[in-house]
Amino acid sequence: MSQLLPFPPRLPLGEGFEALNTWLKTHFGGVFDTVGAVIDWSVTTLRDFLTDPQAAQLTALAALVLAAALVRARPVPVLTVVGTATALYVAQAAFALGNTLVNHAPPHLFLWAMHLFGQDSVDANLVIGIVALAALAAVAAVHRVRLPLVGAVTGGWLAAILCGWLLFDAVPGVIAQPTATLTMLLLTALAWAVAGWRLGVFSLVALTVVISIEQWDNAMATLALVLVASLIAVLVALPLGVLAAYSTVVSRVLKPVLDLMQTMPAFVYLIPAIFFFSLGAVPGVVATVVFAMPPGVRLTELGIRQIDREIVEAGEAFGAPPLKILTGIQLPLALSTVMAGVNQVIMLGLSMVVIAGMVGAGGLGNQVYQGISRNDGALGFEGGIAVVILAIFLDRLTAAVARRAPQARTATA
Amino acid sequence: MPAVRANHLYKVFGKRASQAVTLLSDGRHRDTIKDLDVTAAVIDVSFEVQPGEIFVVMGLSGSGKSTLIRMLNGLLPPTSGTVEIDGTDITALSRRALRALRGEKISMVFQHFALFPHRSVLENAAYGLEVRGVARAERRERAAHALDLVGLGDWKDHLPQQLSGGMQQRVGLARALTADTDIILMDEAFSALDPLIRRDMQTQLIQLQAELGKTIVFITHDLNEAMRLGDRICVLRDGRVVQIGTPEEILNHPADDYVARFTEDVDRSRVLTAASVMEPAAGADAADWERVEPDAPVAELFQRVASCDGPLAVVDEQDRVLGAVSPTAILSALAAPEDAVPAPAGGERREEARR
Repeated sequence: MSQLLPFPPRLPLGEGFEALNTWLKTHFGGVFDTVGAVIDWSVTTLRDFLTDPQAAQLTALAALVLAAALVRARPVPVLTVVGTATALYVAQAAFALGNTLVNHAPPHLFLWAMHLFGQDSVDANLVIGIVALAALAAVAAVHRVRLPLVGAVTGGWLAAILCGWLLFDAVPGVIAQPTATLTMLLLTALAWAVAGWRLGVFSLVALTVVISIEQWDNAMATLALVLVASLIAVLVALPLGVLAAYSTVVSRVLKPVLDLMQTMPAFVYLIPAIFFFSLGAVPGVVATVVFAMPPGVRLTELGIRQIDREIVEAGEAFGAPPLKILTGIQLPLALSTVMAGVNQVIMLGLSMVVIAGMVGAGGLGNQVYQGISRNDGALGFEGGIAVVILAIFLDRLTAAVARRAPQARTATA
Repeated sequence: MPAVRANHLYKVFGKRASQAVTLLSDGRHRDTIKDLDVTAAVIDVSFEVQPGEIFVVMGLSGSGKSTLIRMLNGLLPPTSGTVEIDGTDITALSRRALRALRGEKISMVFQHFALFPHRSVLENAAYGLEVRGVARAERRERAAHALDLVGLGDWKDHLPQQLSGGMQQRVGLARALTADTDIILMDEAFSALDPLIRRDMQTQLIQLQAELGKTIVFITHDLNEAMRLGDRICVLRDGRVVQIGTPEEILNHPADDYVARFTEDVDRSRVLTAASVMEPAAGADAADWERVEPDAPVAELFQRVASCDGPLAVVDEQDRVLGAVSPTAILSALAAPEDAVPAPAGGERREEARR
């Protein structure tokens, strides 16, 4: 005979979760598909850029850096150049306008460069990028603003292109993985510029090790995954952190939710992530975002709350509206703490990405997972070492950015 | 029309604030309503500050002076009562209108400077104008001018933390001056500075005020500072006003023992002036006496009264003799008045007052 009142009754917690997921997927399937497509595109593009950078991409990147550096000093001409270049890129992508223009231009303009780099066609995107870059450099030269930086970026770009040409064509056969070497040099230069020569030397040596153990492509796939996941996590965490700092109610509601997100075993996220986004990089990114986001929210809230009350009052006392206080005082002063949060997000993301290898996210996680399933210690160790190198590289890089923030400078002064 | 007018201001923190205000307005002390679980910071404070006046609010920590000054520019809304700035009741303004009024009429200098560490000295000084949307070139020029006024013209491009405490507070002052408001609120502005630097800053503030004619509400816990700066002083105790008056009134006619204990530590010779210690010179032949101005502090008279035989003649701008200052008059004025001598048991209080 069954009991009348079984205690405690069986709660359908797991079933409820499943039902919620099914309901979400049936009603908002389109949203998940769109999000998945965007994430997939971002990861793929970034991975392709990191493993096999195109000259056109490098040029566009250099132009973007210049535009960002110059836009505050000379907004009108810089925005004109950026707008024109964007329009040209769009036109080229839509109906190959760039190709048409190149075909109608006098051939002597391009022949010598094609000869120099041993190419048999002209890449319209590259041409647009070079013209935009030249225009921006000209704006800077005419107005005499930020000349050292402009020189460094254009010089660096030229060096990268020449370096790539050397690696690919001029000295074939010496360097086994020319594209990997080129990216490795770029990352080293970035580390040097941001964090000083120590990290520069470390990057040069450690990243060369990654290439030599033939894990470069996997490492770059992982890096792309981590960067995209961290970017999404930060974009979500920042506004949540600001809200939590402004409202005690939001803070109290968020706290247990963040605790749950952080302490739930990371594997658990993979199950619904696969359910919504099927196998591949996307569920890996989504699970990573959920797992890695909490410190971003917490440290943003902390960073804003710990600002001296008097400084915020000073803004109010001079009649600054709340948005100006947030963007002009609170966020800049919270930046070092926020960057510490970003650092934590990236580190957690990296640890999660290995787990995400189980759902076919690719990259180093895949290698480690294969090492386990094949009982291949060598493969697992090499994958693991590559993860460690990536972790140190990213950690020191973001820590250096945090050190440069104004609050940190105050503390040391 | 007064520049600032506080009208029966109350600030009570806690859920049952309005109930507390009713009790407090019946004259109950704030310690007697502890069971309401409220903190009464400011209780029934009323005063008027005239344009061009330095009005000092003096009180120990916990007397509600910081809360009071934050109600004057609407950083804190009062629980009850009104604040009028140039005749406008700011407690009735919308938040937007209040921000606009702060930008145009009231600026503030803070105890711990509250400079923006990520902005240069010049950008700090220009902040008020930036908020008001003044064009970059103009606000930089006006900020540079204000920095010149406070003697920091060569430090424009430094970051605040590269400056010493006194210089940082000068930047704070320049930021308030650049905003070009008629009223400046100063919250313990010099309390965090070394004594010597504090004196310099006080002197500079008096000079600037004489040049620019600002209305200044100055908060301090130091009666010497209050006496030195204030045209009038408001003494707060436990959130209530104990006395409002000129430095000499406070010194010579303290409203109660509490104020009297404070005045013990004051250097009376720097507060009292020739006019306040002089005796009638009726009929005396003052033609060959040495002359002094009525507002000369007594401290400057010691040497002169000792080096000549007769008394000093206090004269106005038309050289009319107003009175005579003799050594006896000085000595009896420097001795605290009979009614102001505190009870001997005031030792503890005095310690507190010094802090």
